[in-house]
Amino acid sequence: MISQATTAPVALPAESGDASAKKALTVGIVGIALTAIGLLVPGAGAKVVATSWLVGLTFWSAMAIGMLMLVMIHHIFDASWSTVIRRQFEHGLASFKWLLVLFIPLLITPWIAHGDLVWPWMNLDGEIHGGHTVGHDPLYLKKAGFLNKWAFVFGTIGFFLLWMWLSARLRKASFSQDSDGDLKWTFMSRKTAAFGIPIGALTLTAAAIYWVKSLEYHWFSTMYGVWFFANCARGALAIGILIMIWLWNRGDYKGVLNTNHFYSIGMLSFAFTVFWAYVTFSQYFLIWNANVPEETFWYNLRELNHDGSTNQWWYVGLVILFGHFVVPFLYLLSYKHKVVHSKIKPAALWILGVILIDVCYNVLPILKDAHGDARPFLTLNLLWVLTSVVGVGGVCVWSYLRSLPTAKLIPIRDPRIGESLTHHE
Amino acid sequence: MAVQPYGVIATFNTAPELYHAAEQVRDAGYRHWDCITPFPVHGLDKAMGLKRSIVPRISLAGGITGFITGMTMIWWTGAVDYPLIVGGKPLFSPMFAFPVSYELTILFTAFATIIGMFLVNGLPRHYHPVLKYDHIVRGMDDTFFIVIEARDPRFNLANTKAMLEKIGGAAVTELEP
Repeated sequence: MISQATTAPVALPAESGDASAKKALTVGIVGIALTAIGLLVPGAGAKVVATSWLVGLTFWSAMAIGMLMLVMIHHIFDASWSTVIRRQFEHGLASFKWLLVLFIPLLITPWIAHGDLVWPWMNLDGEIHGGHTVGHDPLYLKKAGFLNKWAFVFGTIGFFLLWMWLSARLRKASFSQDSDGDLKWTFMSRKTAAFGIPIGALTLTAAAIYWVKSLEYHWFSTMYGVWFFANCARGALAIGILIMIWLWNRGDYKGVLNTNHFYSIGMLSFAFTVFWAYVTFSQYFLIWNANVPEETFWYNLRELNHDGSTNQWWYVGLVILFGHFVVPFLYLLSYKHKVVHSKIKPAALWILGVILIDVCYNVLPILKDAHGDARPFLTLNLLWVLTSVVGVGGVCVWSYLRSLPTAKLIPIRDPRIGESLTHHE
Repeated sequence: MAVQPYGVIATFNTAPELYHAAEQVRDAGYRHWDCITPFPVHGLDKAMGLKRSIVPRISLAGGITGFITGMTMIWWTGAVDYPLIVGGKPLFSPMFAFPVSYELTILFTAFATIIGMFLVNGLPRHYHPVLKYDHIVRGMDDTFFIVIEARDPRFNLANTKAMLEKIGGAAVTELEP
């Protein structure tokens, strides 16, 4: 039974890969070009476009980081069922180098104009609430060892290099095993996972702090890295589900995947839904309960205008509460919704959508109007967010599709492949 | 015919034989019957036409009960029975009631799942009529059995026996009640 399954479907080549890869790249370049045009559109301005670009990059980096963590988690647990899916995540890891390339514009913003195009703390002369400047702000000076331009730039480059290095090791081990079947590759991946998971956890936390949390450097939350990781994992799982269905419909995965693979990845999605809610609620609840201004201002900005009226972000918050937790939680409770392709697919797309809204919620309120209120969610600014997401996304999808034909569909000589092909409840 | 037997048992030597026989028993429309195997046979539930367990529904009911219990308990104690302002917070807010409700959701879900499982699977059961069958111990070793109970509406001693033999069952035997 095992040999039957391993020989039959994996030989299918991905003929259409090239054409769709080119299409993805075209979409990506159009998205990037449209975002660049935004720099010239009056009313948008560099700050809006750069911040939107950060949303797109953060969103897609989260997907890649999530895939990296899931692959390493697979190896550290010596998991079996996910072996047939793991290869797709390994292809997804090809996007890290392109994400770094796409990050370059943001890495030079510290030296453009006053430096505070995106991150206010990069301009030491920037005025803050109360008439001080950042350079004289004790809350900044205490953090200056971490929050300074060079640490930011080298940090970001360093994170990407570490992710690329871990990805390269995992991909090499997995792809090499296809040809020689040597068990040493499995052990190598397990070692990579053993030191890679702490590296991944620390770097993704630091990245979340640098890229997103430091947009309001007065604020602090020890949950932030975990919140980011929860989104990474949920996003990667959602993309994994979409890839599984896509390759199933194309024929590649027929005879490889069974109901239980969908059930298992659906359960994992469900588990991370609860995990995300736990973390996000804890962050909100602790700040709500302690009720100290140093922390509450972050949520106040996302609920109220300076005159006390409710702003749009309050409703976005509710969309996140219900859309990011309640709806997927109740929906994914059902067995059918996890295993029927036409039912899990909308759930995966939905989760990706709300992750994007969650990233927007964390990033965009940094764009303030003359009163210091957050500019509304639904404005023309959202257009640049969408072009950025499409732009970065197109490049990421292209890098995945480019990698896809370079290796077999599933790791055929993985010691766990037989177990994975006959995965059962 | 003196006493109606408990049912009829048939022996099968391999898992595939049992599997295909189970499909035919299912298609013949029997409802009160079972397979006895020395190890779990994957896909047998489908071959037997078993529906998914209702335990998840019992779990869900338990979870909803737990959540509502947590919320109402905190609302009633804090805002109705003994209103007391703590830390400048409102008398009731779902915010601080949430951690407790969440824990009770998990607790009640766990209770409902365990209790529901025992209710549905009928365990613990110290006696079962098949235990009187001489060769039943081999069901823990290398032999597979199908038992069709007499309470099944389609049960007819002669016909059921004939059917079990037709689908490959050996040593078709009546079981004492």
